[in-house]
Amino acid sequence: MSLKKMTRRDFLKLAGVTSVGAVVAACAPEPTKAPAPTAAPKPTDAPKPTAVPPTAAPKPTDVPKATTAPTAAPKLGATLIGKLEGPTIIRETAQFPKTFKEAPMLADLVKAGKLPEVAKRLPDPADLMVIKPLKETGKYGGNWRRAFTGPADHENGNRINSADKILHFDYTGNKIIPMLAKDWKVSDDGKTITIYLRKGAKWSNGDPFTANDFMFWYEDVYLNKALVTTPFFEFQINGKNGVMKKVDDYTVAYEFPEPYPYFVYILAGSTSMGAGFATRGAFQTNGGSYCPSAYLKQFLPKYSSEDAVNAKAKAAGFDNWVSYFKNRYSWALNPDCPTMTPWRTVSPINTPTWGMERNPYFWQVDTEGNQLPYIDKLTMTLAENTEVANLRAIAGEYDCQERHMGLAKLPVFLENQQKGNYTVHLDPAFNGSDLALHMGNAYEGDAEIAALIKNKDFRHALSMGIDRDQLNEAFWLGVGTPGSTAPAPDTLYSPGPEWNKKWATLDLKQSNDILDKLGYDKKDGEGYRLRKDGKGRLRLEMITVPGSFVPYTPMGEMIKQQWKKIGVDVDIKETERNLAFGKTANNEQQIITWANDGSEMLYLFARHALPVDTAESHMGMAYAKWFASGGTQGKKPEDPEMLRAFDLFRAAMGQKEEDQIKSAKEIWKIIVEQQWSIGVVGQSPAFMGVRIVKNNMGNVPERQVNAQHARTPCTSGPQTFFFKS
Amino acid sequence: MIAYMVRRVLLAILTIWAITILSFLIIQLPPGDFVDTYANTMSAGGTGITEGEKQALREQYGLDQPMYVQYLKWMGLIMQGNFGMAIEWGRPVMDVIGDRLMLTIVISLAAIVFTWALALPIGIYSAVKRYSLLDYVFTFVGFIGLAIPGFMLGLIVMYVGFSYFGANVGGLFSADYAEAPWSMERVWDLIKHLPTPAVVLGVAGTAQMIRIMRSNLLDELRKPYVMTARARGLSETRVIMKYPVRVALNPFISTIGYLLPYVVSGSIIVSMVLSLPTVGPLLLKSLVAQDMFLAGTIVLLLGVLTVIGTLISDLLLMWVDPRIRLGRQ
Amino acid sequence: MTELVIPQDTPTTAAEEKIAVATQWQLMWWRFRKHKLAMLGSLVLIAFYLSVISVDFLAYADPNESDAQRGLIAPQAIEWFDNGEFKPYVHPLKGTRDPKTFKRVYVPDLETKVPVKLFGQGFSYKFLGVIPTDRHLFAVEGADAQTTLFLLGTDVQGRDLWSRLVYGTQTSLTIGLFSVALSLLLGVTLGGMSGYFGGIWDTVIQRIIEILRSLPTIPLWMGLTAALPNDWSVMQVYFAITIIISLIGWTELARVVRGRFLSLRQEDFVMAAQLLGCSKRRIIFRHMVPSFISHIIAATTLALPAMIISETSLSFLGLGLRPPAISWGVLLQDAQNIQALAISPWLLIPVLPVIVAVLAFNFMGDGLRDAADPYG
Repeated sequence: MSLKKMTRRDFLKLAGVTSVGAVVAACAPEPTKAPAPTAAPKPTDAPKPTAVPPTAAPKPTDVPKATTAPTAAPKLGATLIGKLEGPTIIRETAQFPKTFKEAPMLADLVKAGKLPEVAKRLPDPADLMVIKPLKETGKYGGNWRRAFTGPADHENGNRINSADKILHFDYTGNKIIPMLAKDWKVSDDGKTITIYLRKGAKWSNGDPFTANDFMFWYEDVYLNKALVTTPFFEFQINGKNGVMKKVDDYTVAYEFPEPYPYFVYILAGSTSMGAGFATRGAFQTNGGSYCPSAYLKQFLPKYSSEDAVNAKAKAAGFDNWVSYFKNRYSWALNPDCPTMTPWRTVSPINTPTWGMERNPYFWQVDTEGNQLPYIDKLTMTLAENTEVANLRAIAGEYDCQERHMGLAKLPVFLENQQKGNYTVHLDPAFNGSDLALHMGNAYEGDAEIAALIKNKDFRHALSMGIDRDQLNEAFWLGVGTPGSTAPAPDTLYSPGPEWNKKWATLDLKQSNDILDKLGYDKKDGEGYRLRKDGKGRLRLEMITVPGSFVPYTPMGEMIKQQWKKIGVDVDIKETERNLAFGKTANNEQQIITWANDGSEMLYLFARHALPVDTAESHMGMAYAKWFASGGTQGKKPEDPEMLRAFDLFRAAMGQKEEDQIKSAKEIWKIIVEQQWSIGVVGQSPAFMGVRIVKNNMGNVPERQVNAQHARTPCTSGPQTFFFKS
Repeated sequence: MIAYMVRRVLLAILTIWAITILSFLIIQLPPGDFVDTYANTMSAGGTGITEGEKQALREQYGLDQPMYVQYLKWMGLIMQGNFGMAIEWGRPVMDVIGDRLMLTIVISLAAIVFTWALALPIGIYSAVKRYSLLDYVFTFVGFIGLAIPGFMLGLIVMYVGFSYFGANVGGLFSADYAEAPWSMERVWDLIKHLPTPAVVLGVAGTAQMIRIMRSNLLDELRKPYVMTARARGLSETRVIMKYPVRVALNPFISTIGYLLPYVVSGSIIVSMVLSLPTVGPLLLKSLVAQDMFLAGTIVLLLGVLTVIGTLISDLLLMWVDPRIRLGRQ
Repeated sequence: MTELVIPQDTPTTAAEEKIAVATQWQLMWWRFRKHKLAMLGSLVLIAFYLSVISVDFLAYADPNESDAQRGLIAPQAIEWFDNGEFKPYVHPLKGTRDPKTFKRVYVPDLETKVPVKLFGQGFSYKFLGVIPTDRHLFAVEGADAQTTLFLLGTDVQGRDLWSRLVYGTQTSLTIGLFSVALSLLLGVTLGGMSGYFGGIWDTVIQRIIEILRSLPTIPLWMGLTAALPNDWSVMQVYFAITIIISLIGWTELARVVRGRFLSLRQEDFVMAAQLLGCSKRRIIFRHMVPSFISHIIAATTLALPAMIISETSLSFLGLGLRPPAISWGVLLQDAQNIQALAISPWLLIPVLPVIVAVLAFNFMGDGLRDAADPYG
């Protein structure tokens, strides 16, 4: 008996606590909550165990209604998603500071005569890049602690150090701004894009940064067949190569045989031409559009002899000069490599700690003339297991970390906020779907299934058979946005909010009707539809890839249960990533689960929106090969709508910006209408959008753009972050 | 005796050669190559590389050549004492392994010392005082250790350590010493971090060892020579320690050569969970990344160590058990 | 040394008379019976294997049916008494996600009582695959068990953990048996041959063992799993992996057997058998093997739980059974993260049957080991 009472008392206690929590939540500056505890009657003094505790107030019917009707309650997570903000760039030279200050760490070196004074290290006063920090002028010093998972995780540091991009996007992710280039110009015919460099800017070792660094890259690296075997498609228009020309020491022109105004976006985006020397060097693919010529000459045969550079390589343990050159070209692997980034590597990424230190020649200052960055050092410690990285973040061992932090761990992060002295921010991304069911549109294995996959109505039926709210609740903690693959409504290329819902809401009746109409009205004992060729049940195969930012296999399991209601069976096949991508490359998959990250900037990273990229194309590799080769390889799509999308896509590169945007919207309409890829839940913080920031860090935005093209967190200006204490 | 040794060494070399071929084949079995894995990893991390870049990388690493060419190239390098480059790490393989091999051996030794120090006395006690209360207690506790999967135990120990004792989360060094040069303080820092991995790693082995030791010793204790010894008035300690324990150790010694690879293999999972900088996770990562030279060298290295260990254990066996020694001649 | 049971020659009682005339198997049974933990272990294992054949009876919910609105329910409190009468019941739960903590919060509807029944009615199935019935060990009255009863709570997808555990037990307990049997056969045969015949046999077998054991197991597993045909079902793949494990696992046993053989070869009774002209096979299996059967039993009983553990480890590495299959390893994989430890620790419950089964196998093996040598 006493046990029974205890249990009940515990229930009451628990109920009380949760209701208090809910009341507190409801007092937050937002409309009333769904489980409206304030509306609850005052708990009558309850000696009887059957009395209703406060939280039992919402009637049984209230709860499901509240959770399925998003309009009734503010969106979950709204309190953790702040205002989109960031530092701004001052372009009025009149407002530029006239005197300069530097970090104490560098002042000591200047005193010791090891470094020129700060004014001499900065570019010419008129060519400075001046940043107005988000909130305040920072203090110098400190060590920014982060986690990285190993030498393949160079993007972790690249993204923080992406200030060496030629052009970039501002903190909204929508507007192109100058970076390394102080300005740019597109010629009237759209064939020439000219960039203007900052006079007096210097590499981190003090070497001058000029047009020669661009020409060296173009002539000695890019055109060197040993280093770059295949031309970058981003440096081509309709398969025709562009060329780079030096106008003067501080002016460089990119010239194309056809109009290519979109190249400005290529220079601002995360591409092989625009992502910056540091990033593309770390990728070991010799991209970047410029590189430190004075330093790198010693590793090229042209400037000594092949034997000499090979001998150098052998002495360092490398097979040949090509391998050694790539190694020397990487700022992450080679601490000697000059960079234009806020920090440079001192302890390389292939050791247990990736250590970075401020670049004494960094070419940006704040509005008061303080040379950036504020923070002296960056220390990334190796956590090969992301669970360990997350636990360390919870323990407050990292100062600012958004990479590798799991959305599923959000309750634990929140619970330990005070103990760990940090704040959790959510940065939802703009892409439509973290879970997209990419259909094997070029699949040919099973004739009947292949015909179905190619049938638009069938794809609509599948899409309307998914209960996205369920998936959102279980795997995105209700924080994501259910919908199609289309990007967020406030993005540049969004075809309009109605397209986010199109074909993407649960409608079992319509779905079942379509399938019946397609002739699949016969069912087996368990209610699954039967194939027409008499080979039993209509069963699809879905490949799920483990070890991603979101758990695809359990998501697949849930969809399997949902599709039961439309009588479609699906086998979930968890397949290791290489094997899975191998299958899509051979057009052997019926459905694969993957994200459509990056697709919000349709032209910059189209591979998750349309089958156009042979490096990765889950929506029909044969079509991608056909598109990329200009029709000489692969297979021509039979679907006229896909051909129309291809034509629009190809034409857009040469169009003026307004037309480009118009074309992009049109392409998105086609993509959503056709459902070549079924979007499920997106616009969420699941990919690098759970940000853990220690409370003593200053100038950190409440919300930052979370997108590939923005090189998150680069648009937030990490060089302006600082430690308040 | 010398002829036997020479024969054994020649056979060992043959074995090692067979291991190189097998390990090469095993690593090549999964589809795709390093460049595919690398490109896919980048894609999962939100940035893609192009097809052309992939092809260039493949040529650079020689991955476009047929398998036997790659194998011969690898063999050629090894013959020169060069184990090649760890592609993913951009450092010579030996550099990458070197850092971690020592820590692996330290952890393994700690785990082995923990295991033996606990298992042998308890095993002997359990056999001699069979069915005593303590025998049951040891048996029970030992088996619980055996029954909890290492990965679960590792995570639980780490989480409990963090949330209730404010312990450091994973790793072998505090942040201050991770990159510091070796010093007394750094050694001390390492020693402070050792117990968790040693216990988590050693727990399963301990139970197993207790059981086997107990079984073996029980077998021996029933033999007539024990009774004879006892009848001749030897002290009980001497009766047990002089012969039965020595004989009961025999199966252990025959497997001593496998201890290192066993602990390294067994430590992969625990090292993963606790994020220990050992060879284990390196092997796993290199296999997943299909970093041929790195994975191949680790497998080869462990193979060679095992072969040498077996050699030693055979010799030890002859020394410990005169019956085997005589049988050889 | 009173612990050793040594037959005394004085004074003869009826009981000892019985011992003297008993068969070896009777002696073993008596001996085994004395080992209380072994008896307990055996009973537990019998219960486990009974549950393996009656999963549908034990489970009250579809282990795959998911509903996010039932996600992460903690094990449910059962009210045992209703107004002083023994009438177990549960309250239905209503859940939402707390917008502050982001945890799922469930509130019992205290006005409604759902009686819990033993041997009540639930979904229909065929008991043992033949007898159609709808009786279940646990059932609720006037409601759907799937949506009201959560004995061990639910996982992220709102699937009932008790029912999943029941199905997982079936998989995990059956799948390793074959591989252990295969290792045993290979190990004793090859190890025995190697030790007894010596010479070229010994050299070849030892070389094979050496090569196999010199390779760390994880690359072997990874390589071989990747080489398996991709269109195999998860079960086929796992079955193949258990065979692979046994093909590697026999070496341990073989080496030990060989070591024993080498020393036993010199024993007088073997010599005597040889002099009497016994065939080699007879000497091995009739005389030598029984003399170290205890060691083999000890090794086997340890091998079975090792299989269970390695099943869970393989799942951890992503090489073993994968969802949607359900096994202990798959279930534990769900708990292998910080959020499970911190906010839904009941997901760790599947580790309990693993521990109990491993303990039971070991205790039973222990008793068998002692009993195998009833004259000792």
